[in-house]
Amino acid sequence: MKLEELIKVLNARMLQPGQKETTEITHIFAGDKMSDLLAQAGPGTLLVTSLANTQLTCVAELMDCPALCLVDGVDPDPRLLEAAAKASTAVLVCPFDMFETCGRLHRRFYGESHRRP
Amino acid sequence: MITSSFPIAGGDFLTAGFASRALKEQLKRIGVDGQIMRRIMIAAYEAEMNVVIHARKGNLWVKFDHDRFNMEVIDRGPGIADLALALKPGYSTASTEARQLGFGAGMGLPNIKNASDVFEVDSRVGKGTRVRSTIYLKTQPVGDPTGHCLSIGPELCNGCLDCLKACPTRAVRVWDEKPHIISALCIECTACIAACKRDVFKIRDQVRKQVPQRSVAEALQDTLVIPRAFLTQFGLKIPPRLVIAVLRKLGYKDIRFSEEWEEELRWAVRRYAAEQDSYPVISPICPAVVNLIESQFPALIGQIAPFMTPIESAIEACGLQSATFVAACPSQHTLLTRADLSGRLQITGPAELSAQILPLIAGQAGSAVSEQKPIPHPPRTVNPDLVVLEAWGMENVIDILEKTEKGLSEDFRILELSACENGCYGTPLFKENPFMAKNRWAASRLGRRRQVSAAPTKNPYVARAGMRLDQDMGKAIEKLTRIDKLTAALPGRDCGACGAPTCSSLAEDIVMNRRPGLGCAVLQGREES
Repeated sequence: MKLEELIKVLNARMLQPGQKETTEITHIFAGDKMSDLLAQAGPGTLLVTSLANTQLTCVAELMDCPALCLVDGVDPDPRLLEAAAKASTAVLVCPFDMFETCGRLHRRFYGESHRRP
Repeated sequence: MITSSFPIAGGDFLTAGFASRALKEQLKRIGVDGQIMRRIMIAAYEAEMNVVIHARKGNLWVKFDHDRFNMEVIDRGPGIADLALALKPGYSTASTEARQLGFGAGMGLPNIKNASDVFEVDSRVGKGTRVRSTIYLKTQPVGDPTGHCLSIGPELCNGCLDCLKACPTRAVRVWDEKPHIISALCIECTACIAACKRDVFKIRDQVRKQVPQRSVAEALQDTLVIPRAFLTQFGLKIPPRLVIAVLRKLGYKDIRFSEEWEEELRWAVRRYAAEQDSYPVISPICPAVVNLIESQFPALIGQIAPFMTPIESAIEACGLQSATFVAACPSQHTLLTRADLSGRLQITGPAELSAQILPLIAGQAGSAVSEQKPIPHPPRTVNPDLVVLEAWGMENVIDILEKTEKGLSEDFRILELSACENGCYGTPLFKENPFMAKNRWAASRLGRRRQVSAAPTKNPYVARAGMRLDQDMGKAIEKLTRIDKLTAALPGRDCGACGAPTCSSLAEDIVMNRRPGLGCAVLQGREES
């Protein structure tokens, strides 16, 4: 799924554009533990997290992860955006909390079914 | 080979990740495969963040050559009080500050371990921690077996034929009253060395180089890997602790025991066996037994657990560091020489190292040595239904393998077979009685010192052509028929007078044309009378 499509689903604001808005997202991972994010991130992964510090961009950069989505409408540390710009990682901020954000993404990907197909 | 070093500042969450980022730039230029890159990044970033979270300062060292990536992260910090607990997923001692940033999930060390092919961590409370990780960049091609590494001193031999009868694979011949080894048949166990009363058989190039004079910096890096049995060879007055102290004086900063990897392998094989459906699983605990299976029991190769032998795991754990190894037997010696392509390993024998330390030991007997508390084993939970068959001695080993081939040992889940009595305590390169040596070690209460890992095999175990009579199967069948015919014509006394251990070995030698002018002395005598 294209990143721009996800932006619409999430009512998200793009704080920092990445390489291009048509970046293809193949995998979404939500979590608040750096170690989990590190282990799951990869090319094509969108990381959804309520963390908002510069280390987040470091993880994204190391693992070639194209985009980050912060939740709860946070105003991230300007240094995070600066680092993201350098690494050309896209940074989105979504107004919903983690539960709602994941719910919307899940519905969009898997429809109304309760399980992952 | 490329070596780099990146400093890491403790507590600085803003610039943290710098070392991993710099490393990534390097790896990109080399063109490392994507999946491998992911694993390296996970290991490097987690290790770097461990320093930032817990320590005052540290360093990330990286070395890589054509086939492997080695990383070592050393820090000055509080150290880890309980390594087993630290390796447990979810356990963390991170500060509130670190946790607010999303760290301290307790997955750092477990993540590094999972990403690594070889992983090692050791720590001293109040001093610091060292994490080592090796990741293979690609698998090595299968090397040809190099043949046996035994040299024979013919001038010492009196032609007693003891070796002829002792060799379990019938690889020894006594021609012109001197022993010869047919390398295609030799599995590098220690039977001939043990049988010979005159020390005819020695490991070739046992001392390849004299241990060179090292600078202090080099000596600090230098690791010595010895079998535990080495420490118990000096009689009741010289306890293992004292031997360790003397070895330290020689400049070996880091003294390791090959049994550390042996024990880890035992557990790794137990975990592996618990998930298997077909039994028994054969533990690659003794390289001579692995050689035996590869050359004489090819049907059982699939049953060997896919781990390296302990000595190979030890070599892997040393990474690209220089290290000195004491080989306890010819098969270990061959593995060491084969692994040592870059000349970073010193390979020596028990006798040579003893000769070096004996002058230092004299006069030390009975002196006090400082106690060092061993690290307790982590609690291990393994299915108690796993029945392990532990056996040694080549006769027993061959008998058990023959029964296994016929499916007569399926009641055992794991076979731990070794060539020498009591494992490496029983190699004839050691003079002390194996049972006394083993129990003396146990009595010394020196324990495990590190958390090590059993390395998975890089190359699968494969059949060796040792027994094959001919590359062409048709010709091999023809040769076998001739051997059978000839054997039937021989007296069948297996007297050894011809220099071959059995009549069928003589028939094989004649058909294979291993030596001109072979014949049976008994038949000749009958013809003449």
